[in-house]
Amino acid sequence: MTKQPPRLALALLSRFVPDDEPLAGDLIEEFEIGRSRAWFWRQAFAAILTRWLTPSDEYRPIVLPRTVNLSASPAGLGVGGLSLVVLASLVTVVMPQAWSIVVLGVAAGVAFGVVLIAIR
Amino acid sequence: MPFGSAELVHIWLTRRGEMFIICEEMARHLLTDFELMLLLATLRVGDEAYGVEIAREIERTSGRRVLLGAAYAALDRLERNDLVSSTVGSPTPERGGRAKRFFRVTPRGVRAVRETRKALVALWEDLPQLKEKRT
Repeated sequence: MTKQPPRLALALLSRFVPDDEPLAGDLIEEFEIGRSRAWFWRQAFAAILTRWLTPSDEYRPIVLPRTVNLSASPAGLGVGGLSLVVLASLVTVVMPQAWSIVVLGVAAGVAFGVVLIAIR
Repeated sequence: MPFGSAELVHIWLTRRGEMFIICEEMARHLLTDFELMLLLATLRVGDEAYGVEIAREIERTSGRRVLLGAAYAALDRLERNDLVSSTVGSPTPERGGRAKRFFRVTPRGVRAVRETRKALVALWEDLPQLKEKRT
């Protein structure tokens, strides 16, 4: 049975070390010829630590643009959202005059989310 | 003109597995010992100089254990300072389909090695404490 290199260590390398392909390949090559899992983890950890401690923009992990589902829809459609539907129904039935507060709250939440996205 | 301008991070692993982190922040004209080892090992290995081979050469000749991540970080720094250049090879199955990155020392890198050697030799000379006893 062929032994597999630690997948989690590879995933962490891929996430935190830019251009990790040659390094990951080197680690796999060494692992295949008999290095231990502990060795692999130590090397991966040191690589991440090195990149993390190096104060250079070139080593900052690249954060790719991603979609953010602000309405918390479990289906990921970006509309609806079970919690929002429940909240809207309750407000409409119990206290319709509170709608302005809910709208303001949602708007503030969206604005906060947009600010967080811009910062990250 | 300095070729290493700042923020060096070295991670050392001792034989007992202890890890040391050293941060430097100053302009430099000379190579650090690890950079010097990397350049010399790259020159010794020749055309097949990639991470594993460079690390093996250092371990074989100096007995020092090399962290591959630290080696790549230092080689990246050397490349930014035009002391080495690198090319990416083809992916191979024994490396999980990942490519090798081959390094080559540039003429500027060779010059940096010579200058560092010259400085070290000058420091070395005429030190009675360092003279080996002849039997």
